[in-house]
Amino acid sequence: MTGNPLLVLSAALASAVEMVEALTIVLALGTARGWRAPLLGSAAALGVLAVCTAALGPAIGALPLDVLRLVVGTLILVFGLQWLRKAILRAGGLKALHDEDAVFAAELAHAQAAGRSAAFDGYSFALAFKSVLLEGLEVVFIVLTLGANGGSIPLAAVGALVAAVVVAALGIVVRRPLSRVPENTLKFAVGVMLTAFGTFWAGEGVGVDWPGGDLALPAIAVLVLAWSLLYVQVLRRTSAVATA
Amino acid sequence: MRRALLAVVDFVVGDDLRIAVGVVVSLALAAAGAHAGFNPWWLLPLAVPAVLGASLRRARAARG
Repeated sequence: MTGNPLLVLSAALASAVEMVEALTIVLALGTARGWRAPLLGSAAALGVLAVCTAALGPAIGALPLDVLRLVVGTLILVFGLQWLRKAILRAGGLKALHDEDAVFAAELAHAQAAGRSAAFDGYSFALAFKSVLLEGLEVVFIVLTLGANGGSIPLAAVGALVAAVVVAALGIVVRRPLSRVPENTLKFAVGVMLTAFGTFWAGEGVGVDWPGGDLALPAIAVLVLAWSLLYVQVLRRTSAVATA
Repeated sequence: MRRALLAVVDFVVGDDLRIAVGVVVSLALAAAGAHAGFNPWWLLPLAVPAVLGASLRRARAARG
């Protein structure tokens, strides 16, 4: 299927973005207060996410294909447009870029100031658990919806897993926030792909017959990329005029 | 239960509810066209950038 490489890439990039954000908080906690509790908190959150995925995956897969395409395609389209909107506003200079170094410094200061009990560092455990769970839920949502509609949840999961392993390995090696990861560019790319997938599947769900069949998907992705870049240019030009 | 539902809605819909409304209206129009015997494949590729463009324009206006 034409969409399979795009599907794996979307799942991998979305996972990388969310993993970088969670990693920053876990690294700050580990650096300031020790590694045991944040790592246990992260592991517990990953366990909860695995249970959610195992429970929801078959349920989504059991839906009739037309319903799946319409409902999930609409959700992906709305979700993708929100990511794209945020990325375009950031690239266009209307919204501050996500600064992993600043987030790391702020979390480090909070972690150093927070109280600690002798027995177990509940603060680190709870914060790591919450961060990994919340960022991971977005990944689970994207993997399940893309995978179910694309005909292969395992394929989407492989993309997410590869990204998770790469980001975690980099985090272990550098022990610093991954501030050089072009997070907004990744978010922009994922927004483009989710919007393209959502447009294609939701269209099929309401009875649209795409010219060229599956080949319409990459064409839609190129179109979405083109108008997104155009919007960035327009916003940059108008914000430059406003500041001049 | 209500709070969980609201959290899910906020998670998907995000900062601008009008994007979701615009998408649903566009899909309803495409569905109506398809059921009337047309094949409105061109509608969504035109409507989706228009919906996002309107949202970006509102965001820019809100910043003055």
